[in-house]
Amino acid sequence: MTGSGYKSAWRSRLTAPDVVGVGLYGIRGRRGRAILTAIGISIGIAAIVAVFGISSSSKADLLAQIDALGTNLLVVTAGDTLGGDDSKIPVAAPDMARRISPVRSASAVAMLDTEVQRNKYDESPNGLDVYASESNLLETLEGTMTTGRFLDEETSTLPTVVLGSVAAQRLGITGLADLPTVYIGDQEFAVVGILDPLTLHPDLDRSVLIGEAATTTYLGADLYPTRVYVRTTPEHVDAVRSVLGRTVNPGAPNEVEVTRPSDALAARAQVDEGLQNLLLGLGGVALLVGGVGVANVMVISVIERRQEIGLRRAIGATRRHIGVQFLIESVTLTTLGGLIGAGLGSLITYVYAQQQGWTIVVPVTILGAAIAAALTMGAVAGLYPAVRASRMDPAEAVRPST
Amino acid sequence: MTADSVVLRLDNVVKEFPGSPPVRALDGVDLSIGAGEMTALIGPSGSGKSTLMNVIGTLDRPTSGEVRIDGVPTVTLSDAQLAGLRAARIGFVFQQFHLLEGATVLDNVASGLLYRGQGRAKRRAAATRALDSVGLSHRLHYRPPQLSGGERQRVAIARAIVGEPAIVLADEPTGNLDTGTSESIIGLMEELNVAGTTLLVITHDQDVAGGCRRQVTIRDGRLVSDTASEPRRLTEVGAAL
Repeated sequence: MTGSGYKSAWRSRLTAPDVVGVGLYGIRGRRGRAILTAIGISIGIAAIVAVFGISSSSKADLLAQIDALGTNLLVVTAGDTLGGDDSKIPVAAPDMARRISPVRSASAVAMLDTEVQRNKYDESPNGLDVYASESNLLETLEGTMTTGRFLDEETSTLPTVVLGSVAAQRLGITGLADLPTVYIGDQEFAVVGILDPLTLHPDLDRSVLIGEAATTTYLGADLYPTRVYVRTTPEHVDAVRSVLGRTVNPGAPNEVEVTRPSDALAARAQVDEGLQNLLLGLGGVALLVGGVGVANVMVISVIERRQEIGLRRAIGATRRHIGVQFLIESVTLTTLGGLIGAGLGSLITYVYAQQQGWTIVVPVTILGAAIAAALTMGAVAGLYPAVRASRMDPAEAVRPST
Repeated sequence: MTADSVVLRLDNVVKEFPGSPPVRALDGVDLSIGAGEMTALIGPSGSGKSTLMNVIGTLDRPTSGEVRIDGVPTVTLSDAQLAGLRAARIGFVFQQFHLLEGATVLDNVASGLLYRGQGRAKRRAAATRALDSVGLSHRLHYRPPQLSGGERQRVAIARAIVGEPAIVLADEPTGNLDTGTSESIIGLMEELNVAGTTLLVITHDQDVAGGCRRQVTIRDGRLVSDTASEPRRLTEVGAAL
């Protein structure tokens, strides 16, 4: 204690509820201005929350799709030989693959060097491929039929085909009611089924599938697998992937490629990062401008409220009390803006995701971080005005205005 | 007058403002005010009244000399300690009232106790009593813009006395009021003085000064006269008009 006789009971004190009450005094008296000031911050926060919300919702949707399709399907394709020629997958490849114990099923398709047409006389190109297929292909791909049935033991030996969804469309076949047929070479084949679209295998959507036995019988072609589809147990995908090449082509494991189609879909989840960063940058700029706006309004407020500051000093406020009062005011303004922005950003996400038919995902961490950012912005923006208010000379502040 | 009863004592107080040459606003002021006094500090504008008021109110520090409030030497106190001293021992009444426009009359008066760390209920109870003593019990929940000038100054006076300070400093308390209202404010201050409040009224208005038993005149930063007389009571003023 400095100064003899100073009673500690005279210490200037403000209770915690009063610290808050005093901090909100300036906002209560100027609600319109408070809201306008908070809007700048809201826009920045809303943009950031919406960008994260929309990208999270989109990602969640893709991941849900991937989950539904399964990530446990591997595809073996023929690569290049050392000399650079096209290599061939051994005929025994599917059988070899099936011997790997975590492999649930494996099916080969062999592309045929021929074309499919609706009738004998049509020779226009239609971009459709013809594949010889094993009868368990549908099971391996976990595909479904739009109509009819897939090739089975019986139909695999007969001149019958199953059409991919795009192939059916291009050939003008919508159903099996009028017993449609197609021509491959000179041979007429009966259509017994049409496949639903296969999301991970758009190439098969554009294909016509024939049984292996029928291929040999009616088209007399050699059958070298073009691709082998391998479905594994989900836990052992990586293990199978690492041995699959060696297993199906022990002589030249380098000449086959093993891919996982779901990887491509997963990669799509990362694609929009550039746009996302741009929008985040814009949100950040809006936030910054909002913060400068708050600082500006606070400085004006300090000047306008000179006499209030003088009065408070006269009735016993310390410099610190005055500084804290203005700091709380600034933080309250930006936090208010942050809350409005978080709500607005969530709403934008909700509406957009609803339109896209996505599940709505607004990460709680982003909401928390956004509000924390607004709060920090308020502390930073309020610092200078608060210091300025606290340093105001009380004698000067109580001076009558003229 | 015993040492205990002296609530304000100034010893050779000098206040200079920087400049070339420096402006000496207070030039060796000695002043002693006892408990229960009602003193008028009179002087033309530019005489140093407001500077003296600020120095006495500890809103400003003297360049040299000593200011004791309630026996406590103030020049060595820190800024925060001075704030605490003001909260506990000094009441202010300003020419322009300085009320919080956004708060009710009751809360304006209660704010006189805000920085003493008391709870709101206690502050409001004391404020209700103070408003009663200034005759504004019927205006508790009004806001300052809804009041007349006289009523506003009564609110400000209630705020100044709510904490029962050692001294109330009133700086031109009637400067913004018409004659009739001024008289009622002076009358109120006289009543409060009779009830035990020590007042120092800074004014350039002779009528206001006439209401005070003791009159101190300041000119060019020096006290030039200090006279005590029987105050003209408001009733007499009224009769003379």
